Amino acid sequence: MNRASSNSLVIAEAAKCIGCKACELACFAVHNRDNGVGTAVGTVTMPVLPRLYVIRTDSFTMPVQCRQCENAPCAGACPVQAIRQQDGVIAIDAEACIGCKACALACPFGAISLYKAYSGGAELPQPLLQERRDSKLQRKTRITAYKCDLCRNTEIPGGSAAGEDAGGGRSTAAAARDRNPFPACVAVCPEKALRLVEGGTGSSRSLNREGGIS
Amino acid sequence: MLSSEPIIHIDPELCTGCRRCAAVCPVDAITGEPGQPQEVDAHRCVICGQCVQICTAYAPDHLESADSLKAKRLQRGQLPSVREPLFAAYSTGQALGVKRALANPALYKVVQCAPAIRVSLAEEFGLPLGTLTPGKMAAALRRLKFDRIYDTNFGADVTIMEEGTELIGRVMSGERLPMFTSCCPAWVKHAETAAPELLDHLSSCKSPMQMVGALVKTYGAKQDGVDPAKIYSVAVMPCTCKEFECSREEMEVDGLREVDVVITTRELAHLIKDAGIDFVNLPDEPFDSPLGLYSGAGSIFGVTGGVMEAAIRTGYELVTHETIPNLQLDFVRGEEGLRTATVQLGELELKVAVVAGLKHVSEILNQVKAGHCPYHFIEVMGCPEGCVSGGGQPKLLLETLRKTAYQARKSSVYRHDSHQQVRKSHENPAIIKLYKDFLGEPLGHVPHHLLHTKYQSREKEVSPISAGREGGKL
Repeated sequence: MNRASSNSLVIAEAAKCIGCKACELACFAVHNRDNGVGTAVGTVTMPVLPRLYVIRTDSFTMPVQCRQCENAPCAGACPVQAIRQQDGVIAIDAEACIGCKACALACPFGAISLYKAYSGGAELPQPLLQERRDSKLQRKTRITAYKCDLCRNTEIPGGSAAGEDAGGGRSTAAAARDRNPFPACVAVCPEKALRLVEGGTGSSRSLNREGGIS
Repeated sequence: MLSSEPIIHIDPELCTGCRRCAAVCPVDAITGEPGQPQEVDAHRCVICGQCVQICTAYAPDHLESADSLKAKRLQRGQLPSVREPLFAAYSTGQALGVKRALANPALYKVVQCAPAIRVSLAEEFGLPLGTLTPGKMAAALRRLKFDRIYDTNFGADVTIMEEGTELIGRVMSGERLPMFTSCCPAWVKHAETAAPELLDHLSSCKSPMQMVGALVKTYGAKQDGVDPAKIYSVAVMPCTCKEFECSREEMEVDGLREVDVVITTRELAHLIKDAGIDFVNLPDEPFDSPLGLYSGAGSIFGVTGGVMEAAIRTGYELVTHETIPNLQLDFVRGEEGLRTATVQLGELELKVAVVAGLKHVSEILNQVKAGHCPYHFIEVMGCPEGCVSGGGQPKLLLETLRKTAYQARKSSVYRHDSHQQVRKSHENPAIIKLYKDFLGEPLGHVPHHLLHTKYQSREKEVSPISAGREGGKL
């Protein structure tokens, strides 16, 4: 059998999830350092835009997020090749995204959402398109697709504490990573309902075992 | 503003019923089925706000209508300019009233900040956890147009003078021991609810906040040459329960409220942002004299063990008439739980205990009720690591940062203490002058009138019918 390496993914167990949404909040926090989001809720000036979604039914609650599909239908559907396989995840190039929603429609899990784009904590306007708001012609806010990227290229907000960086021999970033293992959703879940299933050369059966989804 | 309105709420439209709030509630005041909206039992609730801190059930504003979010902010007493997300568990705020008062030129606006504000406020502006900013805090308050920037740390120094003297008196006479601290309003409310028969054991001292409040409208008014009736006294607290404390009927001086209103650390940040003040780039400015000058002992009230350490620094010298050999009392420092120590004050062997987190106090209360509690003096703080972890403090986005945050805030409190020239309350020149010019002796006539208080049982009244039923069960 030809064993190819596979992408890692985050998977949740409905039996453990209590629906607290700590994962959604953590996801948002670590992805928005550039938008001024620090350690405190008070630093947030934009809507909380997570990349995974706690769903609720009458009988259970659990977060749903990207499976990092090997043959990603979202990437196939993207007309501008803004979705690519990159460093072991299916990644969206937000700058290339044209907001066409094809990926969101193609995703079998509903793991892609389209939200307004933000820069520096404020809505990011489009260069060309305008719309009438408050009876004035204004530049329309850019809208892009958001999905789980397994916390690649994210940063812990305010990961260093005051006075901590002096001495110690280790970088604060490394120390902060120890305290906040990634992905953020997995790290913060109080019930350990989320886990990172490492990709690799394993068979689908071992992936199932690891994910607890046999 | 006497109000018995509940301060802590859970919004049923936002609550997901995860019950993490119930897990951190030290008095089991949160009830409800898993998966269903939870309710707060206002009688049991000690208003510590730990539920507010832990709640992650945010309002997804891309789903809610802007109008419904606006209505929720208003209901919570938030300024309309606040943009941070809303959560299911919240405390009602007072910032709207404070903003109105600050714009009123007829009022003489006085403010005090608790020790724990200056080690956490900066987090609201994106600075690292625990950044120490007393100077920027004073500067921001001045730009908010407060006429006087006084400080709760000064009140903490006064508390040590009064409570230390009270302790020594009670230990010498053997009366009503152990003596409990009374700075923490959540602890006081809990004692009134769960152990009313032990209220004699609480120190009669008002909290540092109320002491400053009482002094602002008497001594301070005289110093500043203003009519006490025109003073609007604001306290900024790391605590959601302090608003309850300031509303207690007995917290008045000559017919005036000692503290007119309390806002939290988070609300102060809202006001600073609302006024367009660039907090991060503010210069360091001093507090105002005389009620803004404090010792290192006053500043450590913000952490668990701090009141004890400050009391021992002064108590040692009052009892032995010798200089305390070491100012850093590591045996009372630490974190959540119960810590005990024996301190030698000359001939006197003082047995002390420090309780951090209200759920750890029941064991002690049972010992006292049974008459075999071995301690003389017990500090109790309702929140897990004292006021640095209070319910009104900056709320963390990531639970994984909680320990780091508390540690960083605590380190800053201790660093602030170690950099003070005066580190014992009784050596604070402003305190010496206050007693010489105005208060007289600790526990004397004037302090008794202004700085001490009484407690009331809040035991649920049992109607004769239900009492009969209880009896019938047996």
